[in-house]
Amino acid sequence: MKQRQYSLKVLEILIEEDDDKFIEFFEPKSILFKNHLISLHGNVNDDIISYLEDNGFKYQINQELPNPKNIQMEDAIIDDGRVDRKELEELEDKLKTQAIDCRIKLQELQQAVAELEIKANRDLVVMDEIIRSGREVNVDGDLLLLNRVNSAGLVKTTGNLIITQVVEGAIRCDGNFMMITVSPKANIVFNGVEVDNDLLQDKLNRIELKDNKIYITPVIKKEINWVQ
Amino acid sequence: MGTVIAVISGKGGVGKTTTTANLGLGIAMSGKKCAIVDFDIGQRNLDMIIGLENRVVYDMVQVMDGDCTIPQAIIKSKVNENLHFLAASQTKDKSILSSEKVEKLVKELKDSYDFVILDSPAGIESGFEHTIEFADEAIIVVNPEVSSIRDADRAIGILDAKSQKVKDGQDVKKYLIINRINPAMVQSGEMLKSDDILGILNIQLLGKIPEDKSIIDASNQGRPVVLDNKSEAGKAYIRVSKRLCGEKVEFVDVESEQAGVLKKLAGIFR
Repeated sequence: MKQRQYSLKVLEILIEEDDDKFIEFFEPKSILFKNHLISLHGNVNDDIISYLEDNGFKYQINQELPNPKNIQMEDAIIDDGRVDRKELEELEDKLKTQAIDCRIKLQELQQAVAELEIKANRDLVVMDEIIRSGREVNVDGDLLLLNRVNSAGLVKTTGNLIITQVVEGAIRCDGNFMMITVSPKANIVFNGVEVDNDLLQDKLNRIELKDNKIYITPVIKKEINWVQ
Repeated sequence: MGTVIAVISGKGGVGKTTTTANLGLGIAMSGKKCAIVDFDIGQRNLDMIIGLENRVVYDMVQVMDGDCTIPQAIIKSKVNENLHFLAASQTKDKSILSSEKVEKLVKELKDSYDFVILDSPAGIESGFEHTIEFADEAIIVVNPEVSSIRDADRAIGILDAKSQKVKDGQDVKKYLIINRINPAMVQSGEMLKSDDILGILNIQLLGKIPEDKSIIDASNQGRPVVLDNKSEAGKAYIRVSKRLCGEKVEFVDVESEQAGVLKKLAGIFR
């Protein structure tokens, strides 16, 4: 023996003596009742039965079902499919304006995403060659330079800049920060401001732009703390 | 197949021509066949430095124009038979040079000599570019002073950009000669130290030549200073020439050695 238990949705319809509007009512909503059990009461004619059978509905006629929730029968409202033209036009206009708004918003979002992508994909340029006198290096983005900038060499970046060896040439950096070791011969312009060499001393410096102010912090080598 | 070496500096007056003459003669004295070519068209000097100014009949431009052959234009040194010299034209302008002509000349010389040394003009214009274009190696001559080093730095940059060997994907060997070192001034900190210069230029050191008054007299006499056994500069040039010929020669630190002598003297008089 096998068994299973499950709930089933039921559409219960009472067709009164003079009522022949079943199909008119049922047809537009039939898709909703695809998996319902159609329980018919009252004056059920052959048209209804053949319609239900043709469309593959499961039905039963004049059979009482247990109704624990005691749901009351309501008048069936027939959807005649007719719509007020004016209302429709108003609705259409509303939708159109909404669509235009959506399109504008979408464009704005796409632009923002593209900008973010550019920022995210802006590769760090890594170079390991001496920037010799007379050479000009232009980098759109960030630059990590692992070698020297010799006297009268020029390094320009729109992004951040880190140079691990001594700078004796010129630097033009428009990023948010740079880390450089400069000799007194160097000429440093950071975001349009010429940085005084005396402030940079002869060691590694961190130069940052925060709230429209330039901060210079020397990165000092940590001294060994010997046991006292 | 020989080696073509361009002697360059960027700045004028640092001793390119003197270096060319002395290295040429030094290499010849080591038994290798060496041709030195003056590429400073319109301002030739090399003929005087090696004492052959009265022997110039044909010059390099005439060879390139096909007016004469290389053997006709070549002048053999009186001092050493291995040293041959090709003069620059004094009357023409350096705009007369073209890449094809220079390449042909350099290739022909390369085939018949062990070493071909090209004396570059000062500056970084076309004359300089033609000198480095077909060179296998370059000797960069600097003085221990900032302007000379910046100009040399620029010249190295152009060498790395425009040399035919670099364009073919190879490397041009670059050697540094620090010329006119005054040991006392280096010791007192007035002159740049070799380590600092090497740090800036980052190329191999071929030799250090101390400042030597006998060089001026040697140039005026047309007898390169390598012929003078007593001259410190002459000895230094001999060492450099031997290194170029592949011999292993110990580095003599001319900066501190002389300072040592001075200290000894100071010790005596104390």
